[in-house]
Amino acid sequence: MVRFAKLGMLVLGAVVFAATGATDPARLSADQLEKAARSDSISIPTPGELFAALGKSEKTNWSGQYRGPMPVTYRNRAQIALNLGGLIADGFIAIEAKDGQQVKNIGSDIIKLAKALGVSENLLGRGKSINEFAENNEWDTLQEELEATQNEVKSSMQSHADQDLVILVTLGGWIRGTQVVTAAIMQKYDERSAKVLRQPALVRFMQSKMNEISPELRQEPLVKDVIERLNEIEKLVSFPAGKTPTADEVRKINEAVSRMITEIESKELPK
Amino acid sequence: MKRWLPIFLSILLLAASNAMRAETDAEVQARKDALDVAGAFSNDGFKIRDGHWCGVVKPHDHALVAVNLYAGNQYWFSAAAAEPSKIAVSVYDETGKQVTTESYNNGEKAAAGFSPANSGQYFVSVNLVEGNGGSFCLVYSYK
Repeated sequence: MVRFAKLGMLVLGAVVFAATGATDPARLSADQLEKAARSDSISIPTPGELFAALGKSEKTNWSGQYRGPMPVTYRNRAQIALNLGGLIADGFIAIEAKDGQQVKNIGSDIIKLAKALGVSENLLGRGKSINEFAENNEWDTLQEELEATQNEVKSSMQSHADQDLVILVTLGGWIRGTQVVTAAIMQKYDERSAKVLRQPALVRFMQSKMNEISPELRQEPLVKDVIERLNEIEKLVSFPAGKTPTADEVRKINEAVSRMITEIESKELPK
Repeated sequence: MKRWLPIFLSILLLAASNAMRAETDAEVQARKDALDVAGAFSNDGFKIRDGHWCGVVKPHDHALVAVNLYAGNQYWFSAAAAEPSKIAVSVYDETGKQVTTESYNNGEKAAAGFSPANSGQYFVSVNLVEGNGGSFCLVYSYK
């Protein structure tokens, strides 16, 4: 009798589950995941987030990751946008290094590059804030101010019908951030740090945004090269969940992003 | 008349697209409330991202956004609804499986705290548990 009662309960439970059409609330379907919203401002992490994760496991020599001053005389708008993103990432590095003078120098270069894109009107106030926070060693506030500056540059680009350049700024920042992180991991490999490099969905999202830019811009030699190299990088950062990249895999990513940086920095392109 | 039609349609389209892009007062309020929740975590060293995600959630439904997180970081996702309601925030991994989070729930304000073991894509869901639906806003902080 007891056995039948248990069976009855099981059948009843199954009927109720089927009748309500209930799905497992602890799991989303592939269709739901596909339809999830994705946006530049929340789906793409800042270089500061990446650096924060790296700083957890090993003491990083941030000032050792500086690069020489960047020319602020580029004329090609796509190249300016990519370098502007990289420069913002440099600002995050200087904040991690707690180097006020370097932050101020980079802040000044960011304003100059933004000016070259015609988006500097509202940024002068930001530049002053960056200087003040740097002088007062307010590192957390500086990090927020730098991100706010980046967002202001992007929203100014959108209002100036330069939507296509927004993703280039984001991409430039991610490439430079990845170059710095891979270089730091190569100097002192540890598994916990290397785990930050697994970002296949992030690269795919940036690829999809690059596919949305105008065909004219996509045909520009530098942009064309960046798109091709991004395809290569997507494969390099696509590790299975739980797998830690080896030192050799980290080196390969570093070489790929460094080739991109060299190209972004050095090509003299038509206006 | 025919000549004016495309111009009229263009103006209409432009106005509509501007209206779609502009944040509503309700979303601005929800964002302010979400930032209030996130502000509480700042005392523990969490930095608030300048970006946000606003939208509309219907009764007994959820709104879902993809984020990319780094192993080693700790995150708090803070949300607020503009209308009196009860909301909840949950986090799912890239396969759609719900992950265990710390939770804060206070009517129209809620937050979920999470430290990913693996870097990669995750999904944050804002669920309307009770209420008639309306605007909400989500922000996140990390350390």
